[in-house]
Amino acid sequence: MTRVMAASVSASQAAFAGQAGQAVQALQAGQALQAGQALQAALAAEDAAIFGYGVAGAHLSGSRKSAAEQDWTGHNEARDTLTAMISALGATPVAAQAFYQLPFEVNDAASAARLAAYLEEGVTRAYLGLVAVSDRRLRMFGALAMQGPAERAAFWRGNTQAFPGLDAPG
Amino acid sequence: MLAASAAALPALLATASCRSSDVFAGPDPLAGRPALSHDVITLQAVIAAEQAMVSLYQAAVDADLRATDQVRVLEGLLGQHRQHLGQLQARLVLPSGSPATSPSASPSSGAVPGPVTIGRLRAAERASTADLLRRLVTVQPALAQLFASIAASDATHVAALGG
Repeated sequence: MTRVMAASVSASQAAFAGQAGQAVQALQAGQALQAGQALQAALAAEDAAIFGYGVAGAHLSGSRKSAAEQDWTGHNEARDTLTAMISALGATPVAAQAFYQLPFEVNDAASAARLAAYLEEGVTRAYLGLVAVSDRRLRMFGALAMQGPAERAAFWRGNTQAFPGLDAPG
Repeated sequence: MLAASAAALPALLATASCRSSDVFAGPDPLAGRPALSHDVITLQAVIAAEQAMVSLYQAAVDADLRATDQVRVLEGLLGQHRQHLGQLQARLVLPSGSPATSPSASPSSGAVPGPVTIGRLRAAERASTADLLRRLVTVQPALAQLFASIAASDATHVAALGG
């Protein structure tokens, strides 16, 4: 499983974030509420991922540690993007928690990789929430933004999924 | 009242110099089909594209790439595309009287022309991702989320194919 595509998707996402930011500023009241909730959920997921990668990275080494560091940086950048978008709505970005309950014990490289996959799956789901908003640019932003975490989840899990972000239908 | 009307019908037809078979001559007002919604038309196009993708992977697994060590990966990805197709088809609800569509009825299914290479599969996955992203902004939210999820899955397939 390579990580080349993830980088190119991140570039697309970054290029689109500016347009999505403009879309946020133009939203009407009802749309803004819907978009704000979805953006806050994505921000909360990014904050949790940043914390989680700090834990996972401590148990990884070599290329996988480098990958975790790269992913941690990506989540920080995404957090900054979402924070700016939420502020543009006139809302207060949800604050990161000081501590997050881990879903399972992380004490070696294998459990660290499982945690990284768990984090990316959660972020993927959060961005999928943005795809349900009515504004087309935000929808596209969410759809592009979920590709990076879906690819990273596949990397850490070691396999792809048919429906990233959705409860496996059928 | 109904009986009286029925009894009067032949007389009415005779007065109008019509045979009973002429009554519904011309466009049949009962045979009309409602126009398909934008979501249905979009879904049909996406299903056709997914069928083509399944055919492409099937051809790769069946022949061209069977000897490579990638066959297990390809079989896994083929299985996921079949899952995509199943979910898409499950969402398709056509108005009564619409022409039936099935995988076998699709012109895109069946034989795949030309050799199927890993590069061709990667290109197909990228094209599918782009097409789904383009379409998801115009459909209802639940369908948009399914398209986005499948697009993300296809993006992961590119990486799985070494792209």
